[in-house]
Amino acid sequence: MSVRRPAVLPLAVILVYAGLLAPLVVVIGVSFNAATGFDFPPRGLSLRWYSNFFTKTSFVDAFFRVSLLIGILAALGATLLGAFAAIGLVRFRFVGRDSLEAFFLMPLLVPHILLGAALYLYYARLGMKSSLLTIVLAHLVIATPYVIRSVTAGLVGIDPRLEEAAMSLGASHAQAFRKVTLPLLRSSLLSGAIFSFIISFSDINLSLFLSGPGMTTLPVHIFSEIQWGGDPTIAAASALQIVIVGLLILIVQRFFRLRLMI
Amino acid sequence: MQRSIDRPLWALFVGPYGVYLVILLVVPLVNIAVYSVYTYSPTKIAVPDLTAANYARLWDAYYIQLFLRTTKLALVTTVICAVLGYPVAYTLARARPALMSLGLFLLVVPLMVSTVIRVFGWVVILGRNGLVNEVLDLLGLEPFRVMYTETAVVIGLVNIFMPFMVLPMMSAIERIPPSFEEAATNLGANWFQMFARVILPLSYPGLVSGSLLVYSVSLSAFVTPVLMGGARIRVIGSQIFDEVLVSFNWPGASSLALVVIAATTMLVLVALRATRAAARLESRQ
Amino acid sequence: MLSRGAASRELPAIVRMVELEVAGLVKQYSPQVTIGPISFEVTEGEFFSLLGPSGCGKTTTLRCIAGFERPSEGRITLSGRRLDDMPPHRRDVGLVFQNYALFPHLTVFENIAFGLRLRRIGRKEVEERVGRMLELVGLPNLAGRYPPQLSGGQQQRIAIARSLVLEPRLLLFDEPLSNLDFKLRVQMRFELRELQRRLGKTSIYVTHDQTEALALSDRIAVLSQGRIEQIGRPSEIYETPETAFVADFIGSSNILDATVQSKSGVGASVRTGSGLELTVPPVVEEIGSRLLILVRPERIRLVDGREEAVSNRITAEIDDLTYLGEDVQLRVTTAPAAKLLVALKSGKGTRELRRGGSIDLAIDPEDIHVLRK
Repeated sequence: MSVRRPAVLPLAVILVYAGLLAPLVVVIGVSFNAATGFDFPPRGLSLRWYSNFFTKTSFVDAFFRVSLLIGILAALGATLLGAFAAIGLVRFRFVGRDSLEAFFLMPLLVPHILLGAALYLYYARLGMKSSLLTIVLAHLVIATPYVIRSVTAGLVGIDPRLEEAAMSLGASHAQAFRKVTLPLLRSSLLSGAIFSFIISFSDINLSLFLSGPGMTTLPVHIFSEIQWGGDPTIAAASALQIVIVGLLILIVQRFFRLRLMI
Repeated sequence: MQRSIDRPLWALFVGPYGVYLVILLVVPLVNIAVYSVYTYSPTKIAVPDLTAANYARLWDAYYIQLFLRTTKLALVTTVICAVLGYPVAYTLARARPALMSLGLFLLVVPLMVSTVIRVFGWVVILGRNGLVNEVLDLLGLEPFRVMYTETAVVIGLVNIFMPFMVLPMMSAIERIPPSFEEAATNLGANWFQMFARVILPLSYPGLVSGSLLVYSVSLSAFVTPVLMGGARIRVIGSQIFDEVLVSFNWPGASSLALVVIAATTMLVLVALRATRAAARLESRQ
Repeated sequence: MLSRGAASRELPAIVRMVELEVAGLVKQYSPQVTIGPISFEVTEGEFFSLLGPSGCGKTTTLRCIAGFERPSEGRITLSGRRLDDMPPHRRDVGLVFQNYALFPHLTVFENIAFGLRLRRIGRKEVEERVGRMLELVGLPNLAGRYPPQLSGGQQQRIAIARSLVLEPRLLLFDEPLSNLDFKLRVQMRFELRELQRRLGKTSIYVTHDQTEALALSDRIAVLSQGRIEQIGRPSEIYETPETAFVADFIGSSNILDATVQSKSGVGASVRTGSGLELTVPPVVEEIGSRLLILVRPERIRLVDGREEAVSNRITAEIDDLTYLGEDVQLRVTTAPAAKLLVALKSGKGTRELRRGGSIDLAIDPEDIHVLRK
């Protein structure tokens, strides 16, 4: 207690966090509802919507066959592309480096709904049908900047003299990088990978345009179910997503400064 | 590290993503720029006869109203986020490390959960038989019919985009040494005076970037207005979606999208200039 | 303000008004970490230092007085007013921060005017008072500059001016010179002392630098592990420390563990743990009791061959010799295995000294100080 603060401060904090967390709590509550409505607090507890979720092919497909798979592919691709780009940006000096860095972060500035529309029209012109590939390619655009951010932050935190020390002990430049810098980068790489997975896994704005028959991501499926009324199976699917995202962010926070990601 | 002069090794590293962005971001944007001057045809979608009609159309009363409504919603959302976000950012920035990690976690998890799910939660809370109305009913009060109004959309947007406001503000406030606050207090300022004269001017870049972020994402929001505003509250996002996927007016959608992208980019550039000016002010050498 | 302070300095300490009273101050951070109880009084116009290593509680005490920490127990009274429940912005206590905490978005003028503006003082008066302060600290031409454009010493002076312009009853300094380089630090030390004397402003100064405290203060409180070890004038603290901690913390010292062998009205004889027999001033302890004695290195002197009847004569071997210009510092081992630190003024007698050589030393009994054990 350094300087006495007015009481409106904690009030605003409570209000904001209530607004952030209430929808998540309500969704999880509804997913355990015994009745068929979106009741909160739930009228009796049951796991029927979870069993419903795992028996309905549309949900199972959207979750496992589409969203999870796309998320993993996007995370792998984004990590590869992003790590190379970050190393290039941090460890090399060349003309136009700053502009290139700004260009690399541009996907964060273009509103996703517009990017989705642009990609839809682009694929249409190229005659590409909706597929796993078209969605993964789109997600790579928006996920890679997060990897660039985390790896850049990681690289900046590594003293380049460590590599110089390794080279003075007889390692080549490539060996020094592989044996010294790369192991130190492990946590930033993993954070970047996890974040790009989440970005892909939660994306709705791109997927809305790029999903097609048999290729519906979980958020898009939930979206259309909500529009058609639906039942608490949506809540069960949503609750699963909330838990997955929460756990993943918990992992990131364990070994990486979360704030460097956002 | 400085070996780039003899061999452009850097190109091998930054090249792949650079090329990728050109193919999957720059060319698609050029593509919609091209579509935006094509002629719309109800049967063939777009015919390559160059025209300015798609832009001229944006001056119709319908579109003007669309712009005004969307702008108004985004503006109100931004102001509410700024007013409510500042106390949160300040509290987090000055919290003990453990508390700050928890606060950050509870801020980032909702941000990272799909928008659709969060909006779904709000639909459940505010819906006709939702949580709010159940409580009002228990108290014997009139139901609160808020769903499918602009108020509902603003409630949704504020809660969904709040982290975009708090995070940059928090970083800006964190950079202000706590001794500045104590100095102001020691010189006779109460908390509000201290906040107005020290915290606000010194964290101004955070306010600017937070506001621009919230404003630009609200301007192009889609899921929230569709699910909480319904068919009556049309915004730019839902208009573009319909023109692409429902009415297949691709030239029209392209011109609209391009105008929004241009406006957003301009705002971001202005913001960058403002924050840079503020940074200069801060470290006037 | 000015004249009252100047006049009161001439009066003996007993007659002077107590300006600040800290009584039984306790700050409990956790069951393990407690500061205090700390009690002291500062009289009007006095320059009082809190000296001690980091973690000793000096900064906590200062922050309690400024109102940034809430004491768990005890009371703080400033010219008869209880401060404890007063919010920090109403305390009439100026604080000069370690990092100065000058507002980077405000000019020097606006920094100094900050407190005046909060008090809704008229524009003309603000200009006049800020101008006077800038004159006082010798920087009348910097009003339009921003703090990052100033040197460390200039920032320091502006920070003092910013507090002084409000004419606080009490001025607090939180290690204000520790961010300056050595030369500037010494210069600022003089300026600060001169300014404080001129204004007669009651001041409390927190530092871990003993030289600073000795040079600046009217009185010093030495703190260790949350408690006051001793309060006294600089010479008292240095010459007659009451505890081994104070003796060790201030200056360099030889602290020896000894047993009383015999005693009389004019002195006593002790034997140190290492077997050295020394004559010391009278002691109250009984024969056979153990005590600690302090010998300052610079009080050990060289004996030249012609001297006779020297008490406490010691023959020693030089283990190590460091030439420091003005002084020569020696580590010696005396005949019965006592290790001593010796500082001699460099001169004729020290020229012949060599490592491994032998040396004749003496300690006058009045230069040996017996510590409370």
